[in-house]
Amino acid sequence: MRPVRLIFGTTEGAIGAVLLSLLVLIALFAPVLSPGDPLDIAGPPLLHPFSMARLPLGTDSLGRDVLAGIIHGTRTSLTVGLAAAFAAIALGVCIGLAAGFSGGLVDEALMRVVDAFQILPGFLLALALVSVAGASLPVVVLAIALGAWAAPARLMRAQVLSIRERDYVAAARVTGMHPLEIAVKEILPNALPPVLTLAAVIVAAAILTESALSFLGLGDPNIVTWGTMIAEGRNVLRSAPFLSVLPGLALVVTVITVYLVGEGVTQALAEGKAGQVDRQGPTA
Amino acid sequence: MTAALRLIRRRLATSIPVLLIVIVLTFVLLEFSSGDAVDAYLISIGGGDPAVAANLRHAYGLDQSHLARLWLYLSSLARLDFGWSVAFERPVADLIVERLPNTLLLMGSATALAFGLGTSLGIVAGARPESATDRVISTVSLILYAIPGFWLGLVLSIVFAVKLRWLPSAGLETIASGRTGSARMLDIAMHLALPVGTLAVIYMALFMRVMRASMAEVWRLDFVTFARAKGLSRRRIVLRHVARNALLPLVTMLGLQSAAMLGGSVVIESIFAIPGFGRLAQEAVTQRDTPLLLGIILTSAVLVIVVNLLLDLVYALLDPRLQPSDRSA
Amino acid sequence: MGLMRIDLLSRRRLLQSASALVASTALPAWSRAQEAKGGGRLVVAADSEPKNLNPAIVASNGVFFIASKVVEPLAEASYTAPGGLAPRLATAWDGSVDGLSVTFRLRDGVKWHDGKDFTSADVAYSAMNVWKPLQNLGRVVFANLLAVDTPDPLTAVFRFSKPTPLQLIRNALPAVSSVIPKHVFEGTDIAKNPANLNLVGTGPFRFAEYRPGEYYRLTRNADYWGKDEPKLDEIIYRILPDRAGAAAALEAEEIHLAAFSAVPLSDLDRISKVPGIQVVTKGYEALTYQLVVEINHRRKELSDLKVRQAIAHAINRKFVIDTIFVGYATASTGPVPKNAPEFYDPEVASYPFDTRKANALLDEAGYPKGTDGVRFSLKLRPAPYFNETKQFGYYLRQALAAIGIEATLGNADAAAHQVAVYTDHDFDLAVGPPVFRGDPAISTTILVQSGLPSGVPFSNQGGYENKALDSVIAKAAETIDAEARTEFYRQFQKIVAADLPLINVAEWGFITVARDTVLNVPDNPRWAVSNWADTALRS
Repeated sequence: MRPVRLIFGTTEGAIGAVLLSLLVLIALFAPVLSPGDPLDIAGPPLLHPFSMARLPLGTDSLGRDVLAGIIHGTRTSLTVGLAAAFAAIALGVCIGLAAGFSGGLVDEALMRVVDAFQILPGFLLALALVSVAGASLPVVVLAIALGAWAAPARLMRAQVLSIRERDYVAAARVTGMHPLEIAVKEILPNALPPVLTLAAVIVAAAILTESALSFLGLGDPNIVTWGTMIAEGRNVLRSAPFLSVLPGLALVVTVITVYLVGEGVTQALAEGKAGQVDRQGPTA
Repeated sequence: MTAALRLIRRRLATSIPVLLIVIVLTFVLLEFSSGDAVDAYLISIGGGDPAVAANLRHAYGLDQSHLARLWLYLSSLARLDFGWSVAFERPVADLIVERLPNTLLLMGSATALAFGLGTSLGIVAGARPESATDRVISTVSLILYAIPGFWLGLVLSIVFAVKLRWLPSAGLETIASGRTGSARMLDIAMHLALPVGTLAVIYMALFMRVMRASMAEVWRLDFVTFARAKGLSRRRIVLRHVARNALLPLVTMLGLQSAAMLGGSVVIESIFAIPGFGRLAQEAVTQRDTPLLLGIILTSAVLVIVVNLLLDLVYALLDPRLQPSDRSA
Repeated sequence: MGLMRIDLLSRRRLLQSASALVASTALPAWSRAQEAKGGGRLVVAADSEPKNLNPAIVASNGVFFIASKVVEPLAEASYTAPGGLAPRLATAWDGSVDGLSVTFRLRDGVKWHDGKDFTSADVAYSAMNVWKPLQNLGRVVFANLLAVDTPDPLTAVFRFSKPTPLQLIRNALPAVSSVIPKHVFEGTDIAKNPANLNLVGTGPFRFAEYRPGEYYRLTRNADYWGKDEPKLDEIIYRILPDRAGAAAALEAEEIHLAAFSAVPLSDLDRISKVPGIQVVTKGYEALTYQLVVEINHRRKELSDLKVRQAIAHAINRKFVIDTIFVGYATASTGPVPKNAPEFYDPEVASYPFDTRKANALLDEAGYPKGTDGVRFSLKLRPAPYFNETKQFGYYLRQALAAIGIEATLGNADAAAHQVAVYTDHDFDLAVGPPVFRGDPAISTTILVQSGLPSGVPFSNQGGYENKALDSVIAKAAETIDAEARTEFYRQFQKIVAADLPLINVAEWGFITVARDTVLNVPDNPRWAVSNWADTALRS
């Protein structure tokens, strides 16, 4: 459990890890904390916070429970963030590995695709895809992932290029290992860690992107999302500011949490690496 | 200089396939979507019968096959013809020429502001890592980074435009005011203050954090230890050595950000009613206006390529391995 | 509360018109001229930029909102004029007994904005070359128009191949009869004529300027035929794409007026208390929107009347009115709104909110609840055009859950929704906002009539087929006598309410929010899309 200890070793990492566990617990136990469908109309509309014990954070303009929305929204945000990051990194790793390992024309072709995705404005791509394919959770996740996989792919390829010339890879080649086996067994495990540090940033960005899409009315209407809550609360921003402020705060806290965990991981990795001989140049 | 020329030539060669991929991707996205330009139009006018729809489809060329349309688009693009926007009934090129400057103005000012402020704050914070100043700046920037742009925009607009009435709430300039020269520039500046401010605050946080992190890296490097050993003042070390070297990753990031920024402007342009590229792109999507969306994406892609090329040239100038930074010391 | 406001408003209006009357009759000429010169620039919020602004081709509220100030119809809806129709470019109209012709007497001394005279040739050209072949609504109303005779420059005789009810023509006039200049359009490709954007009309305002993404500017037509009209010097339509932008801009005094509920309903209570701002509920009586649950009858469960009745009983209309529409709507009884008293019939089958009865009906129909409490699942698609249709979607999902029907909401943008519902029929239930346009024949009967090709928005695409209903619709379409025709539409309402091809839930008009310096706001039942000739600004 060395990595965990290392993350807790930094202030950022410690705060982030505590907050993240809390958020994950809320997300996991959402149905227990707030039973029933959070989209159900639960009381009189536009009830202000702390005016009814049963609905402590009040209700929105339809009468839906704000607290239930925030609790279940944690689920949506974390799911979207993690799923999009997982998809983006998985795709990026595959493409990066393929490009870096095969080299030549395949590499060239794949990298042009990576270039294309890096040039396309990610949010615009997501907006277009969700608009034309219909707003449902899988589509939103896919749309966000499509805008985010290029960076991990590029980093993965760079890692593969630097690793594949190393001794142990050459040794594996000499022993007649199948190239695919070399890629998966020898290169992937060593190239992966730096790519994984991108995860935090991608998760944070994915959560923000999802909320912006929902804000534009492109959220899945069958589940609660903080972005949709903010968008719907915005009509009454002046008379019932809590409707956009509370989910906004939840969003900010979640993004900060993810970011802090990311910082912690990066620092932990850097310190872990500082112990080893630095194989790369100082500015790489 | 030849190195620079080689770089430019290589970039131009690789960008053509990249642009082709971008075109095909965008084309496929809109062409195979649910609903076409005629559906979007009929809904906007409240209905129409099949004969009307068929006539429109024919007039828009939508009755041809996807491949034929893609080929038609590419061949007219080869003649530098961006096609016809069916949503606006105008040439795409006109729309782009009309909206691009607004977005460039918005994004340019926001980026410049964010870059300037972000790097300065990053230098202040990174000069004494872990100091109280550093902690405050880092925390604030982290919070700003986490705030969704649309939310910040809404709040700023209510505070400064509705409550205090210091700034206009929307638009690019006062309507039909007849202002010219510096009066008009001031008017535009007032109108852009809120949207630029919103975007700048968000991006500033990013630049600041990267700058700080980058400075932390540089502090550990040998030549800094060397400079310290030489007994140079801390101020001189921070500015001449650490900050200057730490700026390099920021330049790279500026290039990466330039693509993301156009996307980020969609919501802000919509909230502040600025007739820019982001809003136009959103309309192109809702109206299923393939040539318009292609034109926008293509223009922005070319811009991103050019910006990155310029930044690479700047990078080459800044790179300490080409031009040692302690040369002046 | 809404009613009280109307009362206050109409009293204020009465006072205003009384003083205007005094001004126009009792004062000497120089003073009258000054009164008319009042002028000023009215800035209005607009949320869309129609690519074709020609109201003769595109008869839609988005187009009328701007174009109705420039291009005028033959007649306009009115609160006070006999038959609810006030003369504009036509001063009188009369139908022949056989229903085969309608004669219009045209206004004398009217000039186009380019200085040429307005004549019956313009009317004939507009009708034969634009309304009938090109216009979205005109293609229905003028389907049997054979020719327009012009015996003299001020008379136009519309001749029909089949008997066409004058009642229909009259009711349709405000929306379908925008007259455009023959000399500008003749011999050109009408669809591509630049005057579709740079409008040339006879109205109180001239089209001056369009800055895409920013604004439209109209200026006063000094040669307008209306005496002392228009009152304003300029109208600016400022494009504010963000829905919440209008309220902020009103409060910041950057705009004077936001029509079509650009200020969200849920914000009205607050903004009505802001000093200097008035909330106006009148002026949309002839633009009634209907909240309708569209049903796909191809789905086995939904083809059963009992199931449709159960769904109708499951909807709490009071909640819909009070919460979703914040009181600014009325519960519907059937396909014709209460705002159309000429046709409206309240004596139809009704479906009071009764969950127990709804559950009983579903049990009877043979769809018992499963162990998880679910009888069957449906795909529900609320139209994305209005906040209220989306909110009703959320509500309906829960209301259906209460009777054991599990609904999954779809969220598609306008074009995708149009294809999913009206072309691909990929829905079980949909929530739509059709418009009642003054006569059931214009855009209401099409919602339930059978035999329509797919791909027609706002039409019966649910596969509903009822021969008896079709025959009533067909008879009404060719009945000349207004009373007999109205009787057919009473039957129409009864059949629809009883057989539920769709479920009418609520009907609403929009809300205008304006600075209180704007005078004469709601002076006709199509105010937002009328000419605003007497709208003024108090200095």
